Amino acid sequence: MNKTLKIYKPFAMNELKRQMAYKASFYLFLVISLFSSFISYFLWMAIYGSTDANTLGGLSQNEMVIYIFMVYVTSSIVTISISEWVSEDVVKGSVAMNLIKPIDYRMSLISRAIGTMIYQFMVPSILVWIGLEVYKVTVLGMDLTHLSNIILYLLSSVMSFLIFVLFDFCFGMIAFFTTYIFGMLMVKDALISFLAGQLIPLSFFPEGIQRIFDFLPFSSMIYTPVMIYLGKYQGSELIFVLSRQVVWVILLYILGDLIWRKVTKRLVVLGG
Amino acid sequence: MIKRYSRLYKVLISQFFKVIMQSKVDFLMGLLGFFLTQILGIVFLYLIFDKIELLNGWSFEQLIFIYGFAQIPRGIDHLLTDNIWLVAWRWVISGDIDRYMLRPMNILFQIISEKLQPDALGEILIGCILVAKSISAGVSHITITNVILFFLSIIAGTIIYTSIKLFFASLAFWVKISGPFVQFAYQMADFAKYPTEIYTKSIGFIITWVIPFAFVAYLPASYFLGVENSLGIGAYIIGVEWIIAIILGIISYNMFQKGLTVYESAGN
Repeated sequence: MNKTLKIYKPFAMNELKRQMAYKASFYLFLVISLFSSFISYFLWMAIYGSTDANTLGGLSQNEMVIYIFMVYVTSSIVTISISEWVSEDVVKGSVAMNLIKPIDYRMSLISRAIGTMIYQFMVPSILVWIGLEVYKVTVLGMDLTHLSNIILYLLSSVMSFLIFVLFDFCFGMIAFFTTYIFGMLMVKDALISFLAGQLIPLSFFPEGIQRIFDFLPFSSMIYTPVMIYLGKYQGSELIFVLSRQVVWVILLYILGDLIWRKVTKRLVVLGG
Repeated sequence: MIKRYSRLYKVLISQFFKVIMQSKVDFLMGLLGFFLTQILGIVFLYLIFDKIELLNGWSFEQLIFIYGFAQIPRGIDHLLTDNIWLVAWRWVISGDIDRYMLRPMNILFQIISEKLQPDALGEILIGCILVAKSISAGVSHITITNVILFFLSIIAGTIIYTSIKLFFASLAFWVKISGPFVQFAYQMADFAKYPTEIYTKSIGFIITWVIPFAFVAYLPASYFLGVENSLGIGAYIIGVEWIIAIILGIISYNMFQKGLTVYESAGN
């Protein structure tokens, strides 16, 4: 365990340093990524203003504000696209170097992702999160989120992170078959933003479709931790959604292993 | 001279089509990517309108019209002038502008004509489908004037898009990499997909007069829908759109030319 940590920690630290090096563009991207949250915010305000109903899709107007910005916080620590790194490595051919080193390629990618996650958590997320809590208490007149919810949320988010990167690793394997992954990435991002509840809470979907979502890993990526934060899951339901996340982590881990073995068997690297 | 340029444009574009044909799968995936992103935006609205009748007085079909209308100039700009992004991200710092400076032709023309971005067809396609669908639901009347104004508005909208992109990309001549700035301005366009009234006054002001994306989509679209907006109602909105397009076009083109004079080649 200690040895593993020693091997993979530099990957995380390097990524952290690399991110720190480009501060200016990072902050600009931070503002850009908040744009869409603010567009949703205004849109939802208009939507709630257009109806007499107190709740839509099971969420009150105040809860929706929290939902929108917690989706932002959660996304920035969960959706770290390692498939882009895979595609970079494949195109450059440096994946061959990773194969001959005595390290697990997937573990090195996940370690890099952890570096990114720590950075994104420290810089934008926690500030937005604190801002949200302050706004909640001062403007919306609600109580601070309960400590137990925060702990459960963090626990759930870590699993969300694992589900996302393990899934994204499987997805990144496409890079071994085509060099132009850009289009696929767009399709993936679009689908995940929808199926994971980034665009709209999954409770807005018709019942039947929600049942289908229960069998997909995407709802466990964003929707589950945010709903836990909102305190929408209690007792046995809470245990159920958390254990569903555990199951997805295990399943995607095994799946990634299988695909990786298949892919590396047929890999041809020219030159080098 | 125009003849020479248009002949060259044809040659360059036909070269480009050969490249697309080589990689059909990539082309289709890119197309699908843009298409899907927009479709999901519509599904979002559809799910919302399952719960409410009108959004701030707007019906589902009207919002679809604005949404689709916003995609068309965006798509055309994306299709024709995608290389401007590379000026912002790479070409100034790598010194790639050199090779354009060596040729006896307009530099901006050379940069733009070198590439068509076929992925953008997805945006244009979805825009046309949405506009057609909402018109068939009766949100707007098809008259000759409207059709002419529609096309005029789309041309002006495209010029506004390209100008904003060119303006921020030209900053690269001074700061070397201006990609994040272009991204920043470009992303503002997302605000224009919905009626400006849903935002606060200051955001509304910025997207109407500072980075005027509201003129690309929402303001002309509301004229076609026959709905009064913050500028009133009337065909003059298209006129104002054109004035803004011309002013922005001149500013950003001059900015680009000025940038070329301070451009220094990289390395050896």
